Amino acid sequence: MAPSAKPISSPVPDAWYPTLAVLLLAFGLVITASFFIYEATSSRKNRNLAKELTTGAVASVFLGFGSLFLLLSSGVYV
Amino acid sequence: MKRLHPDLSLLFLFGFFTLFSNVCSDLVISKLDRQIDLSSQIVRFTTSLKLENNGAEAVSKVLLPYPENQGKNLAFLSVTVTEGKGKTKTSSDRLHVDVVHPEGMPPSLTWYAVSLPKELSKGGSLTLEVKAVFTHLLTLFPEKITQAEAQLVAFQDSAHYLSPYAVKIQSLTVKLPEPKVESYTKLENTKFSGSEIKYGPYENIPPFSLPTIIVHFVSNKPFSVAQELVREIEVSHWGNVQVTENYNLIHAGAELKGVFSRLDYQERPHVRGASALSSLVARLPARAHSIYYRDDIGNISTSNVYSDSAKTLLEIEPRYPMFGGWRTAFTIGYGLPLQDFLFKSQGKRFLDITFGCPMNDIVIENLFVKVVLPEGSKDISVVAPFPTKETRETKLSHLDIAGRPVIVLEKKNVVPEHNKKFQVYYRFSSFSLLREPLMLVFGFFLFFVACIVYVHADFTISKSSPSYIAKLQWDEVQTAVQQFQNIMNCVLVIHDKLDASLRDLSRTGDVQACKAARKNADAFLKELTKELKPLSAFLQSSPQALQIVPKVDELVIKEKELQEKLMLKHSMVVDSYEKKSGGRDIDNRVTAVQQKITLLRQEVDDLLEVIDEI
Repeated sequence: MAPSAKPISSPVPDAWYPTLAVLLLAFGLVITASFFIYEATSSRKNRNLAKELTTGAVASVFLGFGSLFLLLSSGVYV
Repeated sequence: MKRLHPDLSLLFLFGFFTLFSNVCSDLVISKLDRQIDLSSQIVRFTTSLKLENNGAEAVSKVLLPYPENQGKNLAFLSVTVTEGKGKTKTSSDRLHVDVVHPEGMPPSLTWYAVSLPKELSKGGSLTLEVKAVFTHLLTLFPEKITQAEAQLVAFQDSAHYLSPYAVKIQSLTVKLPEPKVESYTKLENTKFSGSEIKYGPYENIPPFSLPTIIVHFVSNKPFSVAQELVREIEVSHWGNVQVTENYNLIHAGAELKGVFSRLDYQERPHVRGASALSSLVARLPARAHSIYYRDDIGNISTSNVYSDSAKTLLEIEPRYPMFGGWRTAFTIGYGLPLQDFLFKSQGKRFLDITFGCPMNDIVIENLFVKVVLPEGSKDISVVAPFPTKETRETKLSHLDIAGRPVIVLEKKNVVPEHNKKFQVYYRFSSFSLLREPLMLVFGFFLFFVACIVYVHADFTISKSSPSYIAKLQWDEVQTAVQQFQNIMNCVLVIHDKLDASLRDLSRTGDVQACKAARKNADAFLKELTKELKPLSAFLQSSPQALQIVPKVDELVIKEKELQEKLMLKHSMVVDSYEKKSGGRDIDNRVTAVQQKITLLRQEVDDLLEVIDEI
């Protein structure tokens, strides 16, 4: 083995996976809930497309990373 | 009873030695010590040769021949230069060995040429240690046994070393698994003591003498042979190397004749079924986790794991004890931490992991090692300590778009000596790691976009039906009500600001600032009342808002009252400050008004809540 070989490990420490999964999914679900509440209570004219899209984008970022860490912490190393 | 026939091919080699003695007379082996280890199904020859160069030229290659059946079954060959004896013995690194085909030699022999690190000069001497590992060299005799019989095997070789060079002194030691032997060929200078048979020392044997020796002994070690082993090593940069091994085992010992009695076996397993394969031990790296042992039926629970800081021992038992000729197939899987096996060096990443099977004493006829690298790996190359056949494949796994590159290394006739580390080099940019979470994010975003599209789209078929029109009207009413609520909330905020300015006044005594705040509040309130007018007009005119209109009107009236009272209070307080009357006076005057204000405020809040619920 070359003398300058450094071990590679995951960019996020292994021990954080379950905590990160729960936190990110919780945030994501809260923002999803606010998205759906906004959809349900606002009337047709009052709806703001920019607000909907940003809420959806932020929620999908949190949900995406949260589900990735959920998969990793449950043993499916994708 | 069948007789053992000595292998006739050895006898034909007599004639060829006359050729040898002329061609290769430079080197002379002054002392030869052979040890044949027959304690398991894998036969290991350890030969220590002391070479002397009696010729005129320096010699750089040493030839090692093996007869036909040994050459076919040679699995592993390692030659080292040793110095010193006993405890001070040191070995050099493995020397390079090639297969050669010298001219004029019989084709049944397999020749290996060892390249010496330094040329052996005229008159110099060197000690080489040759370790050769053979499989399928022991013949079962008898070939079929019953459950109660012991397994007997026969081994055949020549007492004198087959070599193109003249040998001065040689000796042979055959090590048996148990201190008893069924029969062995007795030549001169033969001694059997303990579990070893010693032939020799023989001096200055004429070059064409190769007496055959046959040793017939009891070997109750199970002959576990894996006909096919597929090892899949999957690397995930998120922190895990998953190894999955699929075994197809056969007991290659003497076949079972007659019936298998489970009762006999369980009562006295060492007598009835001494050569059965009942358990296997696999030596896994330290910190192996999530170990499973299953087959096509399901999980096999007869297993144990003992782990310490240097290794993890997995002890498994097949579903049934295996007798000669019986087969079984199972899968073992385990996960390893990434930082123990993946390293970075000079811009490339490499995986450093063992090649062979972690079980000891198992012979593998066909070994396939598949290394699955994450998607996006480029410039893949393999460095292995022995030759293998390499092919490429793709594997589609979790969150993959095109598939992961797989390198398949194939090797035949693998023994535990092959369990050395090999490296797979590749390039991988760290950003490719983000591809997986971004795919998930994109997937969720598509879901939200779909929701937005669904809510915005109008799917009614008939746009003039009364229910549709009613729904549209109700929607408009709702819009108006929400805007009304917004305005009311703004008004209340302004009221709160006025109160805050009064509190500031009591703190700082700055009357001018208070008056300025009052002016601002007045201006805002005027604007908001103006905005309120068209909304109430619309609500009055729409038929759907019958319930809401009275509440809205009430709210407007109450709010007006509240506003008036608040303004009154404000003026009173400001005047008092200008007149510089005491704090107590101010409080007395203001209390009556304040009570009304709080009452009205409460009512306004209640009404707002009611409107909200509609």
